[in-house]
Amino acid sequence: MTANATDARSRTSFVGAQLQGLTQEHVVLFITVLLLLAFGVLLKGFATVDNFLTLLRSISILGILALGMALIVISRGIDLSEVAIMAGAWAVGLIQMQQGMPVFWAALLALSIALAIGAVNGFMVAFVEAPALFVTLAAGFVIYGLAFWFAPAWVVYAPKDAPWLMFLGAARVLGVPLPIFVFAAMALIMHLFLSRTSIGRFIYAQGDNPESARYAGIALRPLIILEHVIVAFCAWIAGLVWIGTTGSIQMAVTQGTMIFDVILVVVLGGVSLVGGRGGVFSVIVGCALIGTLLNAFTIMDVNSEVQNIIKGVVLLAAIILDNWLHPRDEETARQGD
Amino acid sequence: MMDMVKAPPPAAATDTSEPVLRIVKGSKIYGGVHAIEDVDFDLYPGEVHALVGENGAGKSTLCKAIAGAIALTSGDYILDGKPARFEQPRDALAAGVCMVYQETSLVPTMTAAQNIELGNEKLLTRFRKLNIQAQQLLQSLNFHVDPATPVAMLGAAKKQMVEIARAIYHRARIIIFDEPTASLTPEEIVHFFHLVRDLRARGVSVIYISHALEESLQIADHITVLRDGRLVASAPASELTRASLIQHMVGRDVAQTLYGKARPARHVRREKVLTVENVTMGMTVKNMSFSVYAGEVVGIAGLIGSGRTEIAKIIFGALKRNLINGGTIRLRGKPVRYRVPKQAIDAGIAYITEDRKLNGFFETMVVDDNIYITNLATDKGWRFLLSKLRRSEIANYWVQRLRINALQRKARIIELSGGNQQKVVVAKSLAQDPSIIIFDEPTRGVDVGTIPHIHAEIRRLADEGKAVVVISSYLPEILSVCDRILVARLGRIAAEFDAATATEDKILYAAIH
Repeated sequence: MTANATDARSRTSFVGAQLQGLTQEHVVLFITVLLLLAFGVLLKGFATVDNFLTLLRSISILGILALGMALIVISRGIDLSEVAIMAGAWAVGLIQMQQGMPVFWAALLALSIALAIGAVNGFMVAFVEAPALFVTLAAGFVIYGLAFWFAPAWVVYAPKDAPWLMFLGAARVLGVPLPIFVFAAMALIMHLFLSRTSIGRFIYAQGDNPESARYAGIALRPLIILEHVIVAFCAWIAGLVWIGTTGSIQMAVTQGTMIFDVILVVVLGGVSLVGGRGGVFSVIVGCALIGTLLNAFTIMDVNSEVQNIIKGVVLLAAIILDNWLHPRDEETARQGD
Repeated sequence: MMDMVKAPPPAAATDTSEPVLRIVKGSKIYGGVHAIEDVDFDLYPGEVHALVGENGAGKSTLCKAIAGAIALTSGDYILDGKPARFEQPRDALAAGVCMVYQETSLVPTMTAAQNIELGNEKLLTRFRKLNIQAQQLLQSLNFHVDPATPVAMLGAAKKQMVEIARAIYHRARIIIFDEPTASLTPEEIVHFFHLVRDLRARGVSVIYISHALEESLQIADHITVLRDGRLVASAPASELTRASLIQHMVGRDVAQTLYGKARPARHVRREKVLTVENVTMGMTVKNMSFSVYAGEVVGIAGLIGSGRTEIAKIIFGALKRNLINGGTIRLRGKPVRYRVPKQAIDAGIAYITEDRKLNGFFETMVVDDNIYITNLATDKGWRFLLSKLRRSEIANYWVQRLRINALQRKARIIELSGGNQQKVVVAKSLAQDPSIIIFDEPTRGVDVGTIPHIHAEIRRLADEGKAVVVISSYLPEILSVCDRILVARLGRIAAEFDAATATEDKILYAAIH
């Protein structure tokens, strides 16, 4: 038994070591490629240029939201109000447009509402020291309530005579829908921000070990506020694309599972909830897998209940993989210190 | 081992000449460093066995291994003459080995009775029956505790009674106490000793860790002394005295240490850089006062809980002293109060942590990033875009100066040896160009070969005119590296020595209460 126990332990650590070389991005990318090949062979109408553009376009809003979420998850935080910020800020903006405010100023109003909510979230987390999970959960409800108060409609339509508002969501460049470019540009900017700037490094440091970051002299509180503001900005951009794509904002999304899809995409790609790990590439890979699945489901006409089950299972699998790749060590795993 | 079914032999029925527990050549290695090494330990039924030694001597490690909280790296664990191996404290508890921790492990919101039954609950519990059972148990132990009271409302001594009752309830035959008297008043200590004697009379074996030597001498049948993870003495308490214990605890042959003789102290006192006046924080730091001058190394010795780490963290802004009557900290004569470490860092103060894993480094980052990022966090080093050139300049400088293993620079810091990790943590702080540097346990968990490098750096910083404070439990370190030695005890500075005249005995006498 003694020997067995040691054997078992060393075996798990051996497997762990083998997998250390493989990151979660690689695993997920590999699975995505397999799925793409499988669906391409098995599903009629999957492997066409048109379908790929549809696939990419369908994940670009999710992807833009996920970029912001990735940033905050890397810092060991979370923002459950991101979708609510998107819908709430834009609902108010669109109502103002309907009531005659110039499109530009209304869009700016939506932006300032979004950023202000982000700043308040950040303030609550940084200075009041309330857990981000609950602050942003509560913020989601408040935003939903307030927005509904200002704009009492489940669907708020964009004005018909605002081509520039619709541009990002509806236009095509060289036959490619613009949302794909917006996602690509946002991904590039986010990548450069996270990997090439000091603040990016600080965000990773905070996620790696907030106490070490504090002791290293990183000003955590302003950093936390900035992170929540950036999330809100991503939500604003995503809302802009959303309006262009659908011509309206549906308040119902704040009550739906969209926020969990965003988290799914982020965690799936290897942005660990432990913090400090993963990056923009993780988001892209996560989006690719989820986009592939959702697109195939649509072609196969799988109903949304089954889709939800599969998404849930995929999320669980991703979290198990994450735990396996980043195990807690002997000292922290055991009680009694 | 699966055959180790619960068959707890009736207490004290076994032959008393056979040890109930034996550790044979037990070793535990953390990150390449021996926490304990080849320790032999025998415990007899109905024996009170005290473990003494300085901080970091390995007492807690040994006890955690006995209690199943950690696994020995090598060596045999023999319980009732049969080899045993516990994967977790629960298994040890099932076999009758129970550890009562310094910080009590009771659930504060649950009642005494619920806590006693904790971990052994039946599917359905009838509270009245539970309370009656607990009452019977507490009465049989002569504990005056109401089983229906939430534990949070009990005092430290009563909490300990509940812990002991829980151990008895779980049929513990071996109970380990880690610093049981640290939070007790003198009267409570007397009562606690009665309890221990009572347990002994019931045939329960007790392992007792304490800093207070008199207590150990008073209560123990047998005393084992550990030093630097090795067993140095083990004898019946009647054959030992306070003086001989200190001798054993300290007892290093100075000629054999790496540190050589204490250096002559330099009396050239320059500018008074840091003054701490009557600083108070809760119950851990009480009216602490001292000063630090540029160009000197001040050592702070003292036991864990003496307030030495806390005062460093207060100066650094990581802990907050009392707002009212919290005392004054002066930096070059100017009173300061830092709310966050960033402010202290920008004022030129560095604190090099005692627990690098907890708050020292970023485990996902490589060596260079770890060093560069702290420089970025200062006002002077800040820039928006990262610069690979500056990163390698700064990292190169410190890798060379501290002789960090350059082959591992592309490795994540968590993969480095303890010594190299510590050097990186030192580099992280020094890259912020501080003028006051506080080292907290600078060589804890550091391999022997690296210790001289760190000590050389400490001296070098002082020679460069910086004010250096070294907090250490390791007296030879304090004696060899410091110009002036302060001894903290119970939140105050209890004594001050010149390095030339200080000895380990003197310091230890001042530190132990």
